[in-house]
Amino acid sequence: MNGRPLDFGAFSFRLVMGLLGLAAVTLLIMPTLVVVIVSFTNSFSLRFPPPGYSLRWYAALGDAWQLQFAAWNSFTVALWTTVLAIILGVAASLGIARSPKWTAKVLDSVFMSPLVLPALAYGLAALMLFSLVGWSISPVTLIIGHTVVCVPYVIRTTVAALAQLDTVLLESSASLGASRFYTFRRITLPLIRPGILAGAFIAFMSSFDNVPVSLFLRDARTDMLPIRMWQDLEGKLDVTIAAVSGAMIALTIVALVVMERLTGLSRRIR
Amino acid sequence: MWEARTVSGQALILNGITHRYGGSLAVDNVTLDIKGGEMVALLGPSGCGKTTLLRIIAGFIRQSEGAVMVGGNAIDALPPHQRNIGIVFQNYALFPHMSVAENIAYGLAARGETRAAQQNRVREMLDLVKLTPMADRYPRQLSGGQQQRIALARALAMRPSILLLDEPFAALDKNLRLDMQIEIKSIQRLAGTTTIIVTHDQEEALSMADRVAVLSQGKLEQFAPATEVYDAPSSFFVNTFVGASNVLDGVVRGVDGGQAQVRLGDGSDLSAPLPPGIQQNARVKICIRPEHLMFSEGAGDLDGTVALGMPLGSSVVHEVRLGDGTAVKVAGPRDAGAAPLAMGTRVSLRPTHATSVRLYPA
Repeated sequence: MNGRPLDFGAFSFRLVMGLLGLAAVTLLIMPTLVVVIVSFTNSFSLRFPPPGYSLRWYAALGDAWQLQFAAWNSFTVALWTTVLAIILGVAASLGIARSPKWTAKVLDSVFMSPLVLPALAYGLAALMLFSLVGWSISPVTLIIGHTVVCVPYVIRTTVAALAQLDTVLLESSASLGASRFYTFRRITLPLIRPGILAGAFIAFMSSFDNVPVSLFLRDARTDMLPIRMWQDLEGKLDVTIAAVSGAMIALTIVALVVMERLTGLSRRIR
Repeated sequence: MWEARTVSGQALILNGITHRYGGSLAVDNVTLDIKGGEMVALLGPSGCGKTTLLRIIAGFIRQSEGAVMVGGNAIDALPPHQRNIGIVFQNYALFPHMSVAENIAYGLAARGETRAAQQNRVREMLDLVKLTPMADRYPRQLSGGQQQRIALARALAMRPSILLLDEPFAALDKNLRLDMQIEIKSIQRLAGTTTIIVTHDQEEALSMADRVAVLSQGKLEQFAPATEVYDAPSSFFVNTFVGASNVLDGVVRGVDGGQAQVRLGDGSDLSAPLPPGIQQNARVKICIRPEHLMFSEGAGDLDGTVALGMPLGSSVVHEVRLGDGTAVKVAGPRDAGAAPLAMGTRVSLRPTHATSVRLYPA
């Protein structure tokens, strides 16, 4: 670049890292591309590449009442889960971020544990607990189960946002005569809102395509989209599933762009 | 237009304030009696307890002992938001998600004043700090000096009984600093608010404050008008911390009435007012400010050679090495066209006044 001899170490490092990165990106994006391309097929099989292209399978989604029903269930459960996760997660974060005590650190780890705990094990455990206390399986138990595994995302991003919040601003607010609640409403909440929204978005997405917890905690009437998709695919290799996937990918991309604009999502979920 | 208010600020009394962090004393039995409308500086090096005192007055920490009284009432039981004490923080702490106008209105809104009252007050305060065109800007769009004036306007908008300024000029560059000092002082005069300014910068304290409280290691060393702190420091710490001072070692050789004869390390003698508690043959620290030493035409009290001469615009500073190697600084006005004395010139020095030599126990 500036006439210095080529540094072989640096060059080979960049070469290897570049190739690894390329391989990772390819592995991530290729399946998505394949399923999107297949969803536009005009044939009755999931073969790639498709013999021809059409929108027939997207049109078929309009009649797929079972899928629609499952999607609506997944959506409402994800919505309730997100609302609960925000309320519980923000409250927990406020306590964790403000407390210097060791108990706060322990609780932080406890609340985060669903991230590392196998969700299948948790699903089974929750099912046993609910039957032990005599609660029958219902959408309510399903939402509780989802909330437990989705709260960590809200806590993570909210604690991070609170750590960025300059405590002098809170003192400044108090010195101007604002009560703690007023300070929370006008200073704390607006300043950590992007962090909360980022966590809520991830919580929503993670609830929407959760399989392991839903497997155990849904009742027969509550058909969930990811499970319905798997069953359809297993039974009849239905091409509408590719169309559902295509639609979900499109919606996710739109939501990601919106959230990135609103919250700077990518900066908050490292 | 901002009308000069005849109501003077409230008196602030700190009565025997002591504060411990764990086992260590951060503030040690400090008593200050500050008059309404007065501007007082808490001056001291970092760790002297001045910031702890500020936080105690604001209510962010509760003192271990003692009482804080505003206008005759103890406020120790009140939480910060009920004290009506305005603070301008070192980094200004403007709310980044609010416009300038919203920042200034914040305290009034928190108290539930009407929108019209808020807007009137915002207009008044912007006028006071001369930033009316900036009302709709956000803090990040303002310069450091502008942010500071908004922080001041925000604190004054709620008509605080006491105003606290925490190292207010530390973040400003040097040229802006003097302008802001003059500005804030005149705004404070207009508003008549009792003001405490916490600073480690002695020039700032001396130029801004009516009275200066010098703190060291949690203890109040001296509380007096700025000029008195400089001219008649009550302790060795104050003498060396406030303003520059030459420090020499000596022994009291003779006492005559109120005067002491002191023998220096190089064998020369100086005469100085005798402070109470110092006896014949006592070892002493001798402080003489550079501007209180002058070159003597004839034989002076101290003989030495010029080691360095530095012209500083309106003044000139020489470093003179005495017989025993001790270096002293001599400052004086510089005549137009005059060059500093050449290195190696033999000179004789004497104090400008007998009273400008000060003795402290060694």
